[in-house]
Amino acid sequence: MTPRPSRGGPSLGRLKIRITKSLHVVKLAVRGYSNGRVESVGAVTVGTVALCVWPMFMVCALFDSARGGSVWLELSVVGTTSAVIGLFILRYARVPKYLSTARLFRALASGTLASLGIVMVGLLATGATGSITLALVEAASTITGTNASTIDISKIEPGVMLLRALGQWIAGAALIVILVRVLPHLGVGGLDADGGVATRSARRLSPKSSGTVFRLLLLYVMLTALIGVGYAAAGMPLVDSAMHALTTISTGGFSTQLGSIGAYQSGPIEWVAVGGMFIAGISLPLIFLAIRRKDPKRFWRSYEFRFYSLVVLAAASFVAIFARQPLTLDIVRSSLFKVTSAASTTGYIDSASDLTSAGGQSLVIIVMLIGGMSASMTGGFKVMRLLAISSYIGRELKRVIHPTAVLPIRVGHSSIGQTAFSRIVGEIFLSLLVLIPGALILTNGGLDLEGAFSFALSCLSNFGPAFGGAAQINHLSELSGIGQIFSAGLMVVGRISITPVLVVLAFITEPLARTLRRKSFGRRKMAVR
Amino acid sequence: MKKIKGTPLRVSGSALVAISLGMFASSGVALADGGGGASGLLVSALLILSIGTIMFGASSVSDRADTPVALASVAWSWLAVSIAGALPFLMTGSIPWAHFDDALFESISGFTCTGSTIFSDIEAVPRGVLFFRSMIQWFGGMGLIVLAVAVLPALKIGGLELIANEAPGPTADRLTPKVTDTARRLWLLYGGITLAMIAALMVVGLSPYDAATHAFTTVATGGFSPYNASIAHFDSLLVEFIIIAGMIFCGANFSLHWYAFKNGPKAYHRVSELRWYLGLIVGSTFILIWLNFGNLSLGRNIRESFFYAVSLGTSTGFGTSDFTIWAPAAQVVLLTLMIVGGMTGSTAGGMKILRLQILVRYSFREIVRARHPKAVVPIRMGAVSIDEQIAAKAVGFILLYMGLIVLGGLTLAGLGVEPVTAFSGAVSAIGNAGPGLGEAGPVSDFLVFPRLGRVIIMFLMMFGRLEVFPMMLMFVAFARAVSRSRHTIRQ
Repeated sequence: MTPRPSRGGPSLGRLKIRITKSLHVVKLAVRGYSNGRVESVGAVTVGTVALCVWPMFMVCALFDSARGGSVWLELSVVGTTSAVIGLFILRYARVPKYLSTARLFRALASGTLASLGIVMVGLLATGATGSITLALVEAASTITGTNASTIDISKIEPGVMLLRALGQWIAGAALIVILVRVLPHLGVGGLDADGGVATRSARRLSPKSSGTVFRLLLLYVMLTALIGVGYAAAGMPLVDSAMHALTTISTGGFSTQLGSIGAYQSGPIEWVAVGGMFIAGISLPLIFLAIRRKDPKRFWRSYEFRFYSLVVLAAASFVAIFARQPLTLDIVRSSLFKVTSAASTTGYIDSASDLTSAGGQSLVIIVMLIGGMSASMTGGFKVMRLLAISSYIGRELKRVIHPTAVLPIRVGHSSIGQTAFSRIVGEIFLSLLVLIPGALILTNGGLDLEGAFSFALSCLSNFGPAFGGAAQINHLSELSGIGQIFSAGLMVVGRISITPVLVVLAFITEPLARTLRRKSFGRRKMAVR
Repeated sequence: MKKIKGTPLRVSGSALVAISLGMFASSGVALADGGGGASGLLVSALLILSIGTIMFGASSVSDRADTPVALASVAWSWLAVSIAGALPFLMTGSIPWAHFDDALFESISGFTCTGSTIFSDIEAVPRGVLFFRSMIQWFGGMGLIVLAVAVLPALKIGGLELIANEAPGPTADRLTPKVTDTARRLWLLYGGITLAMIAALMVVGLSPYDAATHAFTTVATGGFSPYNASIAHFDSLLVEFIIIAGMIFCGANFSLHWYAFKNGPKAYHRVSELRWYLGLIVGSTFILIWLNFGNLSLGRNIRESFFYAVSLGTSTGFGTSDFTIWAPAAQVVLLTLMIVGGMTGSTAGGMKILRLQILVRYSFREIVRARHPKAVVPIRMGAVSIDEQIAAKAVGFILLYMGLIVLGGLTLAGLGVEPVTAFSGAVSAIGNAGPGLGEAGPVSDFLVFPRLGRVIIMFLMMFGRLEVFPMMLMFVAFARAVSRSRHTIRQ
């Protein structure tokens, strides 16, 4: 069951050509169809998203009726309505001839908001959630791949169950497209396919970026299948293993069971989950290249991969040590599970009891903040950025001794430009600026200090579970309405990163700031420092 | 006799001599008070004085006078005075010899102006020792090396670098062409403010002893108090008001005060950092009042919110009540204040307002750049733009600062401390604030941390006071000196 993209037999090649051709035809059709008067990239994105969710809703409706659920009608109605609206919008909107960075930012933001809205309507229509704020936060955790939910899984219709899992998976697939097609143009620090860092860029898996997208998506599908087969082989029911495979590879973390993976009380299943989550934290282009060139050493040559494995192994061993229990295979599995779940920001929970040690809890939070490798499906800060930052700190220390030395910031063998680095720094501190008010509002919403901070961080890195007074996955239900809206905001910020959000907001604030500056110029001039 | 060439040795010696003078003064206080401890203080004073004199006399300034030498001198002399400062606690029997690390903790907490304590019953300690405890904060506030440069021209180790590395903040202002003059003026100002504080506190009815001890720790923004209840011991609005004024004054840049003293109060108007500093304190006071609304009576609420916004915003750490029972949201505000700290060039700790300013501009510049990819956007402070190099250094500092908080908190949590206590303890230690959240609140002591954890906190306090870089480079410079001497021997 080795996925062998591209270089495989002739059938795969033909398949690829056929899919690429049909995609091209669809693209041309959409472009020809959407030739309205309104030049707006945001509207086109919204329309496309609304159109693209139609198959998802249809699959869910089919699944629901096949499994004897009662919401297939609602699902298909929501799907069809959104498709009709999407067609309507596309008819009157048009892609601008020139795509500036600002427009790309707007496209990203409006696409996210559109998918958020559609999933929200779907959840409300099927009656899965009671209030609007709950539906909002559920939709946010679906599209951002965060395992934070208030829905009681045992009472939910099968169609909604699939909607949640498939939503996370498709959001992951959309992220691949964004990683390759959009982010390289935006320069959001260290988020694009190669982390904005390496010289041998991942975008160039093939000469055309559409080829790269295709290859990565194929790999994504194959990894999903691999993990699904693994779960099934480990003894999970077939439907459950399919759904868990969808949420493992997308690092979403929604489960079909109340106790997440731990509900099965099975060692082999948990080992498969550990493996799956570890893979989900690896950079997809790296996996692709390693498989394509049949060169497993490529993993080891990647500096980021080495560091990622080191973080996982070291953190797992410390979690095991902090537990202060005799070392058994169960402890090893449980600590590895907790750490891979955090490092890949999946948010699964295993059968072993909660992390009781203070050190273990803090370590899991830190690992979750670091996240996986760049160009993986994980949330969090990304290992590559951490490496860049530590290299920068080392350089500044050296510069204290040699103030005039010209020293590059290095990660492995490649050096990072100053611009790329300042973007990374901007990204950290701007997220800190969101985090502190976020924690403040969450504490006012009814969480204790540790709970609020860990949950805010958890939302920001798309993890889900948190610590403190409330139980690991109960934080969301303890929050007030404002707290829920804010945590939804944190999740979205965590997924598309803070810079696009602020850039979109800057359309309002920048003219405002300019006016203010003009008015207060006299006073400012006096300030010398 | 041939003198050993080593600036670090010479600087440390002079710092030790300064400390021994403080010990003499404290033993005088102990003698006048009659509460005991006079002999112990006297013995340690004589011991430290002789060691200091020998170190100072037997060494001369080394030929090289570059940054690593300056950094190493600062770091090593701070280590020397910290050890020396622990001696009186042991000699007077306030802390048993078996717990010498606790004495070291108290001493480092004093010199770094942190104000965390391991005494669970402070009032049981002899008053002479408590006087010494407040005094070491006073020494640590402006910095011993600044003092040494000011009063000992014989030191011949001029150079702004030395002062710049001891003074908090990314830059040191040259008030006068001569460094000795600058240092002298700073200490003159510092002493003047202290005297004014003592006078003000005595006017509102404090005894000379209370006035002096509290003035020392207020001016140094340290936060040691000879009473278990800290400022709440007096329960007087006037005392609180004077101490708040003192803390705000000393949390601001001393060079700025000097200019204002010389050229009139217009000097304050020209610095944007001051506006940020006052804005942060006033803003967080209002937020705290809002968050505490309903939990406390209105008068109490305003009084305590203002006091704690100032006390933690200037990293002093005096207490009037227990803020760990406040609403969690209010504690988030306090934690943020502890991280940010006071102005550069002040006695306050934290990562400093100027760096926060640089950071905010640096981050928001990225948003402008994202919209206008080819724009050249300088980092502005008021009307001047800041050099990229300085900005890069400030950013590197903040990243390292955050990293140390995370690392310290993680280690403390790994030793079994509850996470909120562990992380807030790390923040408080590296920001030189004093109290933490959770179990390490203002009415508690730092014995809640395990013994090994207190050692880590000691390191964090040193890193925080000496602004991380000197501490890091202390070892680098030492290794370099060793390798160089080996090299010369081989030749």
